[in-house]
Amino acid sequence: MNKQTMNKRIFGTLLVGAMVTGMLAGCGGSTGADAKGKAEASAPSGAISVISREDGSGTRGAFIELTGIQTEDGGSKVDNTTADAIIANQTEVMMQNVSGDANAIGYASMGSLNDSIKAVQIDGVDATAENVLDGEYSISRPFNIVLNGDAEGVSADFIQYILSEDGQQVVQDAGYIPVDSNAEAFESDNSKGDITVAGSSSVSPVMEKLKEAYETINPNAKITIETSDSTTGVNSTAEGICDIGMASRELSDEEAANLQSIQIALDGIAVIVNPENATDNLTVEQVRQIFTGEITDWADIAE
Amino acid sequence: MKKQQIVEKSMAGLFFLCACVSIVAVLLICYFMFANGIPAMKEIGFGNFLLGTTWAPKNEPASFGILPMIVGSVCVTLGAIVIGVPIGILTAVFLSRFCPKSLHGVLEPMVQLMAGIPSILYGFFGMVVLVPLLRNIPGCAGVSLLAAAVLLGIMILPTIINLSESAIRAVPDSYYEGALALGATHERAVFYAVLPAAKSGILAAIVLGIGRAIGETMAVIMVAGNQAILPRSLFKGVRTMTANIVLEMGYATGIHREALIATGVVLFVFILIINLTFSVIKKRGESA
Repeated sequence: MNKQTMNKRIFGTLLVGAMVTGMLAGCGGSTGADAKGKAEASAPSGAISVISREDGSGTRGAFIELTGIQTEDGGSKVDNTTADAIIANQTEVMMQNVSGDANAIGYASMGSLNDSIKAVQIDGVDATAENVLDGEYSISRPFNIVLNGDAEGVSADFIQYILSEDGQQVVQDAGYIPVDSNAEAFESDNSKGDITVAGSSSVSPVMEKLKEAYETINPNAKITIETSDSTTGVNSTAEGICDIGMASRELSDEEAANLQSIQIALDGIAVIVNPENATDNLTVEQVRQIFTGEITDWADIAE
Repeated sequence: MKKQQIVEKSMAGLFFLCACVSIVAVLLICYFMFANGIPAMKEIGFGNFLLGTTWAPKNEPASFGILPMIVGSVCVTLGAIVIGVPIGILTAVFLSRFCPKSLHGVLEPMVQLMAGIPSILYGFFGMVVLVPLLRNIPGCAGVSLLAAAVLLGIMILPTIINLSESAIRAVPDSYYEGALALGATHERAVFYAVLPAAKSGILAAIVLGIGRAIGETMAVIMVAGNQAILPRSLFKGVRTMTANIVLEMGYATGIHREALIATGVVLFVFILIINLTFSVIKKRGESA
């Protein structure tokens, strides 16, 4: 018991040091008006505060699979994310946590990055669309739409649009990566009707933009988008509650038995840190070690 | 005459039906919770479920132990009481016995307004103001048990203040006047004669505050960190039962979903106990 208290004290003192350094760096950044952002980033030290998403989130599922945080052994699958990880239930909360804590590390979809956080390179590769498309950036995932049987009417026309040159341009403008850079221009058959698109909250922002653009081309169509998550989207499609499902992951074998999926875009997951953090590059292995709790201090990250 | 009787009868029936709606709703919720939750608990095993310390629903094989969440909920609620109850009761005393009339006209609506603020707004406040503030404490990750406790302490204030104030005001003036007549000062009379007389009302206020704290969800999710492990210190994160349900309900299927409903059953039992305590205290207060 005594030893523990002692350890906690030492730990606390170290953290004070880290925090004072952090604060000084922060003040420097705000007072030196000409010195911008990166120049003020300090070499990180202190306990890493790991931030993850909730179990079942598409982003978390893709992230733990792509980085090897989830280990598979025969029939068993184990998510080894450290139990100490703070759980953010939305991308916004993730951003807020990382931008407010100099020692934080988290992850988010590339399309939702902003200036309040910094995306690090993975294995020396920048988190950019080109690198995902080239296959050089390793932490990326597909955006799929899911269909139950063949699409008809507005659904078919809308899908045609998404995969056309115009649709893929919308995808690119939204910060995601188009799957087909040589697609043909779109011509609507002016189908009339209402359809519902439901599923992943990762896919829905780009789907909203696709919908707006499509509805101006074909005013006869009305599209309703319901945002939930990949699994709900897939299930709703199977049950016929919606016409098109959205999933930010590949379908499982069970799901693929009755449904077909079409890839409409690619998304990279960026590993994000506080802008004050000087770390620019991490290997996938380091990311794995950080998120599984094998590395717990920034000082242990060898540049 | 006869027509009027028919109207009377039918209206009485209508009111009875209205009363039934809420009763039926409660019964249906009870039935749904237990019918879905108990089989899941059986399948996981009561011991494994209630006393297990590992929550890993996506692992294969999965484990569903909600002890960390039960302890988390209890700790957060206790923290909220430690912070909210003294402030709440003293505010109620001030409002009812010390406050100048003009100030009362300002404070009372403020407290009412506090009760009306949606909890998600409290959550934002916690995330944007409270959490960065707490990061200045050495060893504190910001999102923590402490942050949740402070935020809930603030959130239960209106419940405690309003109910305590009416309890204090319900004490007959003769108690206060009697104390003054015996030579007590104003303060002594309030704290040693009036306050003890309002004891059961104030206790009931605290119990309802506890109910509010343990059931709160959105605000807590945003500041508690939500780690599914037993709380280790005030400065580390916790996950409450409510947070556990909301975080994963959107994704859960099969036994995972049932385990979340079973978590709801445990929460429901807690709320039942709290409400039972409330009515017992109230009854005792009335008979005394």
